[in-house]
Amino acid sequence: MNVPSAPALHSRRETLGLGAKSGVSLALAESFLGAASAQAASGEIKLPRSAGPLRSAGQMAFGPDSVLFVGDITGAAVHAFALRDKDLTPQTGVALGNFHNFEGVDLVRGLDVKLAALMGTTYDNIVINDMVVHPATKQVLLSVERGHGPSVIPAIVKVNRGRLELLNLDGIPHTKAAIQNEPAESARLEFEPQRVYAITDVKYYNGEVFVTGISNQRFASTLYRIRYPFTGQKATSTVEIWHPVHGEFETRAPIIRELVREIRGEPHLFAVYGCTPLVRFPLAALKDGAHVRGDTIGELGYGSNPLDMLTFNNPFDHKDYLLVTIDVRGASQIAVADLETAPAEQTGGPIDFGPGGLGRTQRNLPIRAEHMAILNPRWAVVIWRHPKTAYRMDLGTLMVPYFFDRRLGMAEMNWPDGPDPFQYREHRNETDHI
Amino acid sequence: MTGQILADRVEVPAIQPALVIEPNPSGAGWRVRAHNLSPAIVAAVAEYAQSVLRVQVAEAEGLDDEGPPDMPGDYEILGDGIRFTPQFPFEQGVPFRAILDLRVAGLPGLAGVRTREFLLPREVRAADTTVSQVFPSGDVLPENLLRFYVRFSNPMRRGWAEDHIAILGPDGRPVPDVLYRAPIELWDRSMTCLTVLLDPGRLKRGVGPNRMLGAPLEAGGRYTLAIASGMLDACGRPLQRDFKKSFCVSKAVRQPIAIEEWTVAPPTTGGCDPLELTFPRPLDWAELYHGIAVASPTGLPMSGRIDIDMGETRWRLTPDAPWQAGAHAIRVAPALEDICGNTPYAPFDGPFRPAEAAPRQTATRLVPFAVTPITVLAAGQ
Repeated sequence: MNVPSAPALHSRRETLGLGAKSGVSLALAESFLGAASAQAASGEIKLPRSAGPLRSAGQMAFGPDSVLFVGDITGAAVHAFALRDKDLTPQTGVALGNFHNFEGVDLVRGLDVKLAALMGTTYDNIVINDMVVHPATKQVLLSVERGHGPSVIPAIVKVNRGRLELLNLDGIPHTKAAIQNEPAESARLEFEPQRVYAITDVKYYNGEVFVTGISNQRFASTLYRIRYPFTGQKATSTVEIWHPVHGEFETRAPIIRELVREIRGEPHLFAVYGCTPLVRFPLAALKDGAHVRGDTIGELGYGSNPLDMLTFNNPFDHKDYLLVTIDVRGASQIAVADLETAPAEQTGGPIDFGPGGLGRTQRNLPIRAEHMAILNPRWAVVIWRHPKTAYRMDLGTLMVPYFFDRRLGMAEMNWPDGPDPFQYREHRNETDHI
Repeated sequence: MTGQILADRVEVPAIQPALVIEPNPSGAGWRVRAHNLSPAIVAAVAEYAQSVLRVQVAEAEGLDDEGPPDMPGDYEILGDGIRFTPQFPFEQGVPFRAILDLRVAGLPGLAGVRTREFLLPREVRAADTTVSQVFPSGDVLPENLLRFYVRFSNPMRRGWAEDHIAILGPDGRPVPDVLYRAPIELWDRSMTCLTVLLDPGRLKRGVGPNRMLGAPLEAGGRYTLAIASGMLDACGRPLQRDFKKSFCVSKAVRQPIAIEEWTVAPPTTGGCDPLELTFPRPLDWAELYHGIAVASPTGLPMSGRIDIDMGETRWRLTPDAPWQAGAHAIRVAPALEDICGNTPYAPFDGPFRPAEAAPRQTATRLVPFAVTPITVLAAGQ
């Protein structure tokens, strides 16, 4: 199939070497080598047109009317891209799996290898930062970065019926809100240590974008509320988040994951702090310039980092649940009704995990997804590592609410003649589609 | 007769089409060009350029029928060929494959698919990246130390900190669960300075991890901050050697920064001598560059060079312009921190105040000092 290339009959100064079947390095002219290495040393790379205004691509959230918000740590901003119909493709008809038999499907196998191929590199040189589902088309979007050094190449990639497509941000209507570092009152310095606000989460609710993050210098706990459409800095509220501890101490607390959710008609922010408590704030308390303390209503457990925080409706009992996936162990699931009624940490007393508090419905679920999002009431999409291969990451589906897949676990239904007390075999040939 | 006749004569080119890799003159990077195509062939394939000339990462293995995608790029139709400029620049050290497939033209003499594999060599330089400094620089650190800053001599690669940075106990073995596993590595923009936090869950008194495991460091103990040479810099090279910083642990510091205990040594008029501030306890190295400013008698901030030394207990400003006589002021930001995260207004974890207490103070603190022709020792206030 592959024919060795014919040798070039003209050797021109700008062409380089002769090709062969297996990779042969080109003899580079001195000046080009110098340019390439100078580029690598300085870390400056010209970003592709498809990256548009992004300098990095982190946390994402969808707003109204197909507006995609993207957190950009290097660019110190949150971007808003107003996606048009032509930027997305409806995924109607894509198979999701067999709901009653706990069988999800692979939407993209070897996702990391394919993303790397799209971005001209190897799988170990890319990182997937976030995943969101566009509500109307059910299309999955990923924020990806190539490179691990000071200059990454960012990209937003869409999954279209199993194929990966680059979202061309150049040309999409765009606005952005700068995430301000603290105003520099000090003298200007050439070598001053540079401050970075590492955006940990971006969420949209009712006309505002909520941005949480950690500073690399101050132990700050700044939460930004930015009114959208972005109109400038006056529309940004800066809130410092404090953490009361048993009524004895109070301290600053950066937020790692957040979620806005109405409780009996009143919007609340639920957040996970860096020191692992799960907290609740009424949005009304999060005012510009305020130092606000959250009510501690739970603990995720030592040494864990929350990966995704989302709510879903259980198709069996029709109740709403909060799900927090965690990096070192499975996920925590808590009924939203309990979030509402959970008493705040009592003064001087322990956190109430008993039947009166979150213990009543808190469960640990053995989900090992690096990224997770809800696609529809019966299905979630997940990115997870294949159990047998060190690097291979797959994008697939997982049924709601048990988040269990029979391909991964031993279950009696896996044997054709095994017992079938729940009548799984009756549903053997049912496949859900978008 | 096979093939499609596009002109009066069927052209069989004497020179075979070929693929070349050429530099992009308008900027950095490289591009791929298929050349030696006759104008008739170019016209025949122009609208199929994306299937005719494809460039892909050579070693990406397909795991299913849906093989890895080709690299996206811009296609230019030239007089004698097609040029592909990749959206993402070709990465050094990664083998690529360019494929020229003219079968869509259906012309005889153009059978087969031409392939060219190429690789831009990665420049290999000897490893010369080291840890150049660690702050706090002192070797006696308090039990509730909040963070280290680790400075490297070259930009570094993200993702290696957790496995290569540890606190060792007196026996030389890593002490578990002392350092915070940050959700994002806390680098500065140049990726030469990494912030390593001790676990706030263990530092904050009364919080779950603190109740379970206690404070991260024990007063009276001797520890080592160890950075293994396996940490990679941005070029993929390991550090030249391991780095170790040993320190003893003294008791915790749980008070706000006592600005009233600072010593101010003002300069004299007409010169550019530095203004010198000395602190009784070390302050945070990075915050010292941002958290202290000097206002001239007109109220405008003064610019100059800031020097921090003596274990981050001395701060000096050497102004760009000579000092004028008059009342100056040192402005201390409310966010200034010491090495335990204490600020001028509150300790890192301070006593709980009920909600009805006076609102939190956030004003900049001012320390006035006078610049006179004769040096006068002035105490801070």
